[in-house]
Amino acid sequence: MGITARDVMDTHYHTLSPRDTIAEAVNLFRRASRKEGKRIFGMMVTDDDGHLRGMLSMYDILLFMRPKHVHIWGEMEDIELGGLLETAFKKARNIQVGDIMSTDLVTVRPDTHLMMVLDVMIKKHVRRIPVLEDQRIVGMIYISDVFTFFFKDLSRGDPDRT
Amino acid sequence: MSIPGKRNVLSGLKVSAAMRRQVVRLPQEASLEQCIRQCIKFKINAVLVTDAAGSPLGVVSKTDLMGAYYADLPISTPLSSVMVGPPIFCRPDDYLESALDTMYSTRVHRLYVRPGDSEPVTGVLAYPDIVGLLYRFCRNCEMSVFQRRPERDEDQMRRAISVREVMTPSVVSHGDTQSLVEVMEGLSAYRFGAVLIRNRADLPVGVLSKSDLVLAYMRGMDPGTRAAAAMASPVQSCDVDEPLSGAIQRMIFSDVHRLFVHRRDPAQVIGVLSLTDAARARSGSCHACVSSRIRVDQTS
Repeated sequence: MGITARDVMDTHYHTLSPRDTIAEAVNLFRRASRKEGKRIFGMMVTDDDGHLRGMLSMYDILLFMRPKHVHIWGEMEDIELGGLLETAFKKARNIQVGDIMSTDLVTVRPDTHLMMVLDVMIKKHVRRIPVLEDQRIVGMIYISDVFTFFFKDLSRGDPDRT
Repeated sequence: MSIPGKRNVLSGLKVSAAMRRQVVRLPQEASLEQCIRQCIKFKINAVLVTDAAGSPLGVVSKTDLMGAYYADLPISTPLSSVMVGPPIFCRPDDYLESALDTMYSTRVHRLYVRPGDSEPVTGVLAYPDIVGLLYRFCRNCEMSVFQRRPERDEDQMRRAISVREVMTPSVVSHGDTQSLVEVMEGLSAYRFGAVLIRNRADLPVGVLSKSDLVLAYMRGMDPGTRAAAAMASPVQSCDVDEPLSGAIQRMIFSDVHRLFVHRRDPAQVIGVLSLTDAARARSGSCHACVSSRIRVDQTS
């Protein structure tokens, strides 16, 4: 048996509720990053029974915050951003995690080979993958952990490593 | 001197100059819930529905989603059950004026753009895209109010088109204790995108748009809920004598499709100005556009 998702997954995962506001989600990203000692910009979204319902990432939030007519903004060097950004934040206050989360999810099982996990991350352009066993969340794999894992093994065979 | 009576700032411009290249699409099996989420995330009013091969089959707009809410359809219903098809197309090298005429005559708010009948969709054209293009022209024009110079202030203000000239001079409003179902019936009857919500003292306290209603649908809100629970507040409004350019700027940069129009006092709402109204006016925000065109024609 080779290296599998179980060997790399983080079992100290954090979750959001679909009813959390975007502001609450951003605060949870911050708190989780401090606690885990690494930057966390995406979390699983679970229902009251703990079942996976979606994922919310920094990208989803930025996509929502992006002005609709962003191509025009680029040409306007003299526009005051202050008040307009405030309007955008006010709008975001009414938006919940469940409104903008991604629901077309890619998941793996704990016994999925790490090379398959890497392949999925690259092909699907995802940075984090939930690990499910019998529809139950057991962990999360971050691309940074996969990278660190490979780097550790690669550098082990390098005589010039410091 | 020949004065081209129907010429305006859009004359000669092609669809490719204004169209949006990001087309959000979903397969026909996707659920209404997925569709609403895409509409909110990408700030769009409709999604293109495709078959398994990616060919366009139809369109699901916020109007269709609101209809599904009204009809009490489950949020898991597939898009194929509510989509309107086929989509109406135009080509990137069609004239914008012709595209606007098609939108007006077919009573649709967007056209999908493809180079040929069997070719993939490469863009979408909606009223706000056209207004965005007009706004960019207007901003860069030396005659516009955006380029105000003290010695020309009076002349520039005289030339500026005001909100009054373009707005819809009527308002549909509902009470804040009326149900979402009643509001949906009102929106359907008047073919409006949003209504003003008033309190018992008849003061405007919020706006309930199709966007707010589809969000309520996705969140599982009972259609019998009072309008106040789902409305957006406060009301965004502008003065009837404000230059159109300023109002358009606020709509574009605040990501709103309409402003309610008041006369001096924000509590006295007398009309609505939408980006659709601005696009249908087919000019920039200043009467100078017309005379500029005449000058161009004289020299050609």
